[in-house]
Amino acid sequence: MPEEKIVIDLEGINKSFPAVKALDDVSLSVKSGEVRGLVGENGAGKSTLIKIITGAYTKDSGKMIFEGSEITRNSPLISKALGIYAVYQDVMVTPDLSVAENFFLGQQPKIGPFINWRKMYKESKDFLDEIGLDINVHRNIKELSIAESEMITIAKALWQRPKLVIFDEPTAVLTRNETQILFRIIKELKKKGAAIIYISHNLDEVFDICDTVTVLKDGATVGTYLTEELENVDKLIPLMVGRSIEEMYHKKDTEPGKELLRVENLSGDRFENVSFNVKAGEVVGLFGLVGAGRTEIARALFGVDNLKDGRIFVEGSRVSIKNPKDALVNGIGYLPEDRRKQGIFLQQDIDFNINIINFDKAMAGPLINYRKAHIQARDYVDKLSIKIGSIFQKVSELSGGNQQKVIIARWLCKNTDVLIFDEPTVGIDVGTKSEIYKLFGEILASGKGIVLISSYLPELMGMSDRIYVISNGKMAAEVQKKDFSEEHLLTLAMKNLVSKEKIKEAV
Amino acid sequence: MAGKRDRKAFTERNLLIILVVMWVFLAIATGGNFSSWANITNLIRQSSINGVVAIGMTLIIITGGIDLSVGSIVGLSGMVYAIFTSTRGEFQFPTYVGILIALGISALVGLINAVAVHDGKVPAFIATLGMMTLVRGVVMYISSGRMVTGVPTEYRQFAVAEFLGIPALAWTWIVLAAIMIFVLKYTKFGRNLYAIGSNEEAARLSGINIRRNMYSFYIVAAVFSAIAGLMLGTRMAAGVPTGGNGYELDAIASVVIGGASLSGGVGTVLGTAMGALIIQTIRNGGNLLGVDPFIMQIVIGAIIILAVFFDQFVKSRKKGEGMKKLFKRA
Repeated sequence: MPEEKIVIDLEGINKSFPAVKALDDVSLSVKSGEVRGLVGENGAGKSTLIKIITGAYTKDSGKMIFEGSEITRNSPLISKALGIYAVYQDVMVTPDLSVAENFFLGQQPKIGPFINWRKMYKESKDFLDEIGLDINVHRNIKELSIAESEMITIAKALWQRPKLVIFDEPTAVLTRNETQILFRIIKELKKKGAAIIYISHNLDEVFDICDTVTVLKDGATVGTYLTEELENVDKLIPLMVGRSIEEMYHKKDTEPGKELLRVENLSGDRFENVSFNVKAGEVVGLFGLVGAGRTEIARALFGVDNLKDGRIFVEGSRVSIKNPKDALVNGIGYLPEDRRKQGIFLQQDIDFNINIINFDKAMAGPLINYRKAHIQARDYVDKLSIKIGSIFQKVSELSGGNQQKVIIARWLCKNTDVLIFDEPTVGIDVGTKSEIYKLFGEILASGKGIVLISSYLPELMGMSDRIYVISNGKMAAEVQKKDFSEEHLLTLAMKNLVSKEKIKEAV
Repeated sequence: MAGKRDRKAFTERNLLIILVVMWVFLAIATGGNFSSWANITNLIRQSSINGVVAIGMTLIIITGGIDLSVGSIVGLSGMVYAIFTSTRGEFQFPTYVGILIALGISALVGLINAVAVHDGKVPAFIATLGMMTLVRGVVMYISSGRMVTGVPTEYRQFAVAEFLGIPALAWTWIVLAAIMIFVLKYTKFGRNLYAIGSNEEAARLSGINIRRNMYSFYIVAAVFSAIAGLMLGTRMAAGVPTGGNGYELDAIASVVIGGASLSGGVGTVLGTAMGALIIQTIRNGGNLLGVDPFIMQIVIGAIIILAVFFDQFVKSRKKGEGMKKLFKRA
């Protein structure tokens, strides 16, 4: 164990933006070899703090001391030169270059004036072997899966021999297995004496990997705790939001009404023979491992992808859904998994984002009646308590949680009978999550049904009345609320995988 | 937050300021020649043909695409009209039939563009670059590379006709622009355009029929070019095989100066109209001041770059940090 010296020490940092005080007298110091969790709701000031450390923002006042000397002038270049490295969600690698080139970017080994390719490939491969990543260094980043390129970004951080590494939601796109590799990398970094700041909405992860955790709330430090002393997530959440975990999932038991949607023997490219139904007033969960086909089923049902076979019934009568428009006409709505890529119109304002599928309700003949349109947008902004200045603000100026709320507002306004929520709370803070769950109750109370797709079992079990488990593209089981348990659901989800593993072994 | 109401309006206000400053400067520098009614109407008339092409280009650029074939369509439409109506030709159709054929054939070209871009997944730049060459070839072939004269009198007279003291050509532009400003703002068609340009996947998942809309955008763009071709034809009083050569560049410049983003989702017809006026003001004013036309070309080129630079500058300043990078002391 290297000597435990303080790597970064922030004292009384203040930062204000025109409308809001983002950081209020925040102090934070991280020792070498320490993994510090940084948690708080969206808007608590985590990102602002990170941006001040990396020099993307300038602090209004306060001190930043790095390895004993005060940093007065900072910028992304300066912080990088100091050995501060931030791994953001957005992949920071060059997609058209190979893995090896990305590692050596700007510092390629040379023979005379020419690049020494052989050395580049060899050294990067050795490095990946060392940290246990099995990725071909000759491949271009864009040929890799999202998770693989994320791993490469992280590996690149390690490659730079950094003194302080900041992970901002690193596991959002990673599978369980890859998360384990990430944790191994973090432990490796720790052993080498780097200080680590780890930001995640997934608090279980924070407990798994962090030594200490600092809680931020409304731009101020609530406190710094040893994870051992906190024991578990239940004690952390109240610090962040002032409410306990039992209050999070407030799904009331409702008496299911008439059947709204029934699908029989649906088959598509990635799934076959799937049947399920949704009744008024109930949340139906779809569970499965990543790649099991949950999203594919939802997309096919919504008419985005083609169905090979199967029948869809809406309130008992058979319908044909060939495109999203058909789905909408039949009262089915879909909130996609990846809101940035599939949900939000980033250059447009909030009003546009809510109304784009709801102009129907605000038409005067063939023309849009903006007075009505603005009113309905404002209504839903209020209903979802989205914190904004005005509905004419660009959605790009909103936080991820508020963007998600805008999309939910869009669909609530559309008022479809069945709403499919695909991972609605990924990357969203606890407070907003809780508000979204609360909305579920309102949707159900108005006689609608919800299909919830989520990889996060506590959420799925907390919110669903029934859960259908999909395993490798096939329906494994329908589980009633009384039989919910993580173990049971996971076992079912892996049911059809066993044979696949065997095939792999045989090959 | 009231000031944040609309960044588009913000861009347009800046363009208006630029225009007014240019006009005041030119009015003084030319001793009032620039600001004479005759010159003002002339300026608008000179802008009108490019202005109409640029309306269509605005739509395509908002989708995130580009249409390089518009100049050739200008040539095609004028030539097709001339061939079918020329009193010296074999058809001698009446004017309205000639117009319908010209618009119809041009719409077909737009449809082919759309099919290539949307269904064929050919990048818009390549698809329309090919179409630009192809259509110009067609124009040359059907005219044997020669002017086609003998167009009907009423056609020729349109170029000099006036209404309320403003040339008919200028009216054509003003009316079409007004209609499109309205359509983009107040119809679902218009809103779909911005949705598709901002995020095609999200638009699809919102139940918007991407194919039908993309076809419409390219057809509308081609039809506007065709109208511009007819406008040009009335001025030339003939079908000219090289008519519309290079018009795509002026149109793109107008759209870009008007605040549209080549990555899609952003742009307005009003901005484009002001962009077209700015370009023509430089040409017209430079002319009156006796500036070398080659110098004027340099100025227009520089303005295109500066316009986009300025737009980026404003955007990054709004974000609060970006520009520091640019002007930071080393």
